[in-house]
Amino acid sequence: MSIAQSVLPAAEERPVRRGLFARLLRRPSAVAGLALLGAILAMAALADVVYPADPLDMAGTPFLWPGADPDFPLGTDMMGRDIAAGVFHGARVSLLIGGVATLVSLVIGVGVGAIAGFFRGRADHALMHVTELFQTIPPFLFPIVIVAILQPTMTTVVLAIGLTSWPSLARLVRAEVLRLRDGEMVQASIVLGLSDARIILTHVLPNVLAPIVVSASIMVASAILTESSLAFLGLGDPNIVSWGSMVGAGREVLRTDWYVATVPGLAIVAAVLALNLLGDGLNDALDPRQNRR
Amino acid sequence: MTSTVSRFVLLRATVLAASVASLFGGAAFAGTPQDGGTLTAIVQPEPVTLTSAINTAAPTGFISGNVFDGLVDYDLDLNPKPALAERWEVAPDGLSITFFLRKGVTWHDGHPFTAADVKWTLENVWKTIHPRNQATFGRVTQVDTPDDHTVILRLSEPSLAILSSVNSNGAQVLPKHLYEGTDILNNPYNLKPVGTGAFVFKEWSKGNHLILERNPNYWDKGKPHLDRIVFKVIPDAAARAAALEKGDVQYAVFSPVPLKDAERLGKLPSLKIETRGYEWISPWLFFDLNVDNKYLKDVRVRRAIAHAIDRKAISNIVWYGFAKPAISPVPSTLPAFHDATVPQYEFDVKKAEALLDEAGYKRGPDGVRFALTHDFIPYGDDYKRTGEYLKQALKRVGIEVTIRSQDTAAFTKRVYGDRDFDISSAWFAAFSDPQVGVTRAYWSGWVGKNTPWTNGSGYRNPEVDALIAQAQGQARQEDRIATFKKIQQIVQTDLPSIPLAELKFFSVHAANLKDVVTHGDQIYGSLKDAWFDKAASN
Repeated sequence: MSIAQSVLPAAEERPVRRGLFARLLRRPSAVAGLALLGAILAMAALADVVYPADPLDMAGTPFLWPGADPDFPLGTDMMGRDIAAGVFHGARVSLLIGGVATLVSLVIGVGVGAIAGFFRGRADHALMHVTELFQTIPPFLFPIVIVAILQPTMTTVVLAIGLTSWPSLARLVRAEVLRLRDGEMVQASIVLGLSDARIILTHVLPNVLAPIVVSASIMVASAILTESSLAFLGLGDPNIVSWGSMVGAGREVLRTDWYVATVPGLAIVAAVLALNLLGDGLNDALDPRQNRR
Repeated sequence: MTSTVSRFVLLRATVLAASVASLFGGAAFAGTPQDGGTLTAIVQPEPVTLTSAINTAAPTGFISGNVFDGLVDYDLDLNPKPALAERWEVAPDGLSITFFLRKGVTWHDGHPFTAADVKWTLENVWKTIHPRNQATFGRVTQVDTPDDHTVILRLSEPSLAILSSVNSNGAQVLPKHLYEGTDILNNPYNLKPVGTGAFVFKEWSKGNHLILERNPNYWDKGKPHLDRIVFKVIPDAAARAAALEKGDVQYAVFSPVPLKDAERLGKLPSLKIETRGYEWISPWLFFDLNVDNKYLKDVRVRRAIAHAIDRKAISNIVWYGFAKPAISPVPSTLPAFHDATVPQYEFDVKKAEALLDEAGYKRGPDGVRFALTHDFIPYGDDYKRTGEYLKQALKRVGIEVTIRSQDTAAFTKRVYGDRDFDISSAWFAAFSDPQVGVTRAYWSGWVGKNTPWTNGSGYRNPEVDALIAQAQGQARQEDRIATFKKIQQIVQTDLPSIPLAELKFFSVHAANLKDVVTHGDQIYGSLKDAWFDKAASN
């Protein structure tokens, strides 16, 4: 093991981890993203404390404009549901769907990419053909088809998004793994007789972490957008409040009561913006070339 | 029928709106009609054919009613008024109906209109390929035409529903000389119709517009007042609202703009919202409760659900006030048949909870008694909101509802075929006789037959089946009314389905377009009375 430790320089992974947060904090856009995301996370966490009642309850007079009644700071929608409560609880649903869907596509994408890149040959061929198959289908059409065939529930929406957003990640991971595969570190591990699984998990993947983290933050954002678009088209789970379903419900009163669609729409903008800013910041912070500057 | 009409978004009419409209709509327009002008109307979606006799879709009926006349028209109270038939007689035993036809009426190509046209259409179209009339005219065994202007229907059993369905939509007469011996469904005249009506078909530019022109030889002298009608196809709801607002279009029907926009447009001085003209359709919205469900098979649970629902809130909030709470499956728009004395289930959460306790379904530690699913009719946001209301209303009494959404094909298969649902929603057209539109919801013969828009609840009651059969053969209208009232009493006691609201479509028309609604079947009738008030320009 001592040989292994000396032969395998962990140097490449250290700069990735050390001081990442500090470096992130040096970038104003990343700080803005973090702050915004923190606020949304706080909304999601505090939803049950601030608005303990069911956000689907018809709590007040329908069509109260924001500010018209102090009890409903963001107004009420066409059914008299509290929009502020909807935005808080919707944060929870949107983040949950974004997070779990991204997790699903991370597992598939990283798995496929790592196996294809590490084993190359036939496995690579087969897996990349499957990936291409998924990539030929327009990205939004596929979830629509899945949700329309299965019933729109939270689970099917998460699966539909997760199952359709992994191909680009798989290709990215594969490219990185292919690069590392022939590096001295991996070759040395093979010489030392480590199992393939162990090499992939302990030596290859940690070095691919940077691009994965960056794309994951963007994927959460696009998952939230996809869920919102599905809900807007009426393909969301009708039993839960999500920002997209609120926008969809407000669409038909857009000419008269535009705030019903606009308020949750702004929440979507904020969340997606926060995640994109964070993704950019992470990208810069994790880029070793930029560190050397 | 329902399936074709109902893809449009429905609208409500508050009692107020309706009564105000009738105040100003009827007698108040005493001004003398002025001739001339072109009316531009919206038809949405574009019709497939222009002959209602073979296709009962709403857009077809909307145009076809101007080209063809019915044997009768229906006034705003749905009484038959003379049209092609000047008068009619029902034999005392109910076994024959005689129509005395108007003389001197010609088809648009100059051929005289005679009893032979009626006889031929009844035998070759209504009884064979008409989607609705096979039931209505099923008891006609023979048609006699003693002269060119008399038609006698011989019936095996009395069939009074016939007289409620002989307008230009219910029983459209086709010109025998153009259709006899042809493939009726593919006859080219279905796309360039030749009728007897106030307007003559001129041209149809597919996907664009359709033009009708004034019939100078119309039998109703002095009518029509308009020179021509242009029907435009505008698929986008926002574009329709803009066209009406701009004045490019002066008439649009079947709730052409989003519900909430109607209020805004109605406030404009140049436009009017009209809720009359749909009386002949008489739609009502309801929840079907699957009586095979282990909870819903208990009538106490069904009544508890009815008590938990505030039908006023459904009309006023969910349907923006454009609906009227319903107490019976026979809408109050059929005043003769409607029974206002049926058991009422007023909004009372305590009573609902007591009934559920009594049925043995106590609240669990989490406050939930049991869980149900709800499948809403996938015709738009209004029905989805109705489902969301149901979920919240039943949650209050401890019933957890999961809403499911799906497309129309999956919905009808689930409810009317597989019966794999707990509570579903739908709206039916009652039409002007409950025999035509209401009995299908309760007759046990339809259960599980996968015939859409029939008995969804799975209700099987031999007594009701017998009463339905009895009403079909009763000769005296008073007897039929009594039978239908008995049916309403029973089904509202057993409550397999909960009537929620009497829905109404609305039309939007220019304020200077007068007398656009003069009939209860106006939506499928003729615009022969409409005229532009040139003094009151927009």
